[in-house]
Amino acid sequence: MRQKVMIGMLALAAILLVRNLYVISVLPDEVNQGQIFRIIFFHVPAAVAAMTGSAVALIASVLFLVKKDFFYDSLAVAVTEVGLAFLAVNLVTGSIWARVIWGVWWAWDPRLTSALVCWVLYAGYLILRQALEEPTQRATFAAVYSIFAFTDVPIVYFSIRWWRTLHPQPVFFNKNGSFPADWSAALRLNLIALFLFYAVLTMIRLRQEQAQREIDYLRRTVHAM
Amino acid sequence: MTVHFLMPLAALLQAPDDAIRDEIGRLQRNFQGLIWGFVAAWVILMAYTLMIVFRERKIRREMERLKNMVEDSGKKS
Repeated sequence: MRQKVMIGMLALAAILLVRNLYVISVLPDEVNQGQIFRIIFFHVPAAVAAMTGSAVALIASVLFLVKKDFFYDSLAVAVTEVGLAFLAVNLVTGSIWARVIWGVWWAWDPRLTSALVCWVLYAGYLILRQALEEPTQRATFAAVYSIFAFTDVPIVYFSIRWWRTLHPQPVFFNKNGSFPADWSAALRLNLIALFLFYAVLTMIRLRQEQAQREIDYLRRTVHAM
Repeated sequence: MTVHFLMPLAALLQAPDDAIRDEIGRLQRNFQGLIWGFVAAWVILMAYTLMIVFRERKIRREMERLKNMVEDSGKKS
């Protein structure tokens, strides 16, 4: 059943993404930026998906510390790892966009820097997990670290409001945004497609984490025999 | 409507050669940037997906191996 749901979600994501590629290609160019502005259709959804993943990781980490249920630990690591890939998409597409519009690949601007720090923090979360052998200790330390890492997420989101930055103000999640309706619809659909893809990858990683736990148990059983 | 559509072309015809070259170069860089952006996004997501697929195979093999070991140990004892 779970397998069928995953395949269905993946198929829906693929259909939406292919359809969106067509819709994005026929939209008119943005007045000031031209064609490159279309990168927003991946740049923003990837960021939103990654940030949502961070929030899920935070909740799962808190729930693990409260309930000591390893399911939440598995969920936190699954959602964090997938989020890291999506955040990498956001950073790389942003960098390419910056090269075309600002003339530089990277600027140490509050939004860009805080997003990079966020990526490094969550990469550190995965490295920390590799460094600890004992499962309960690993899950507890990782949960505390994940809660700490999440403190950067609001900084990433609000950085463009708190400080003067090169990065433009939000045009989509903003009442004063100037995003035309047809562009908003395309962005929303791409957001749904990437969320579906994110969810499928998380479900697979979650299953893998649970299988890995079973493998650890079997290894201990074999050693005990 | 037709006049509006042809206006950029008319402006280009009146512009000096250098300006046309600059504009074509800008449009080319713009389009290349877009393509690289899309390619990069898909390469990252596909590379990660492949990583997950390979990990899945590794986990299945390891699970099979350990289950066989447990079964063999059970039979011996």
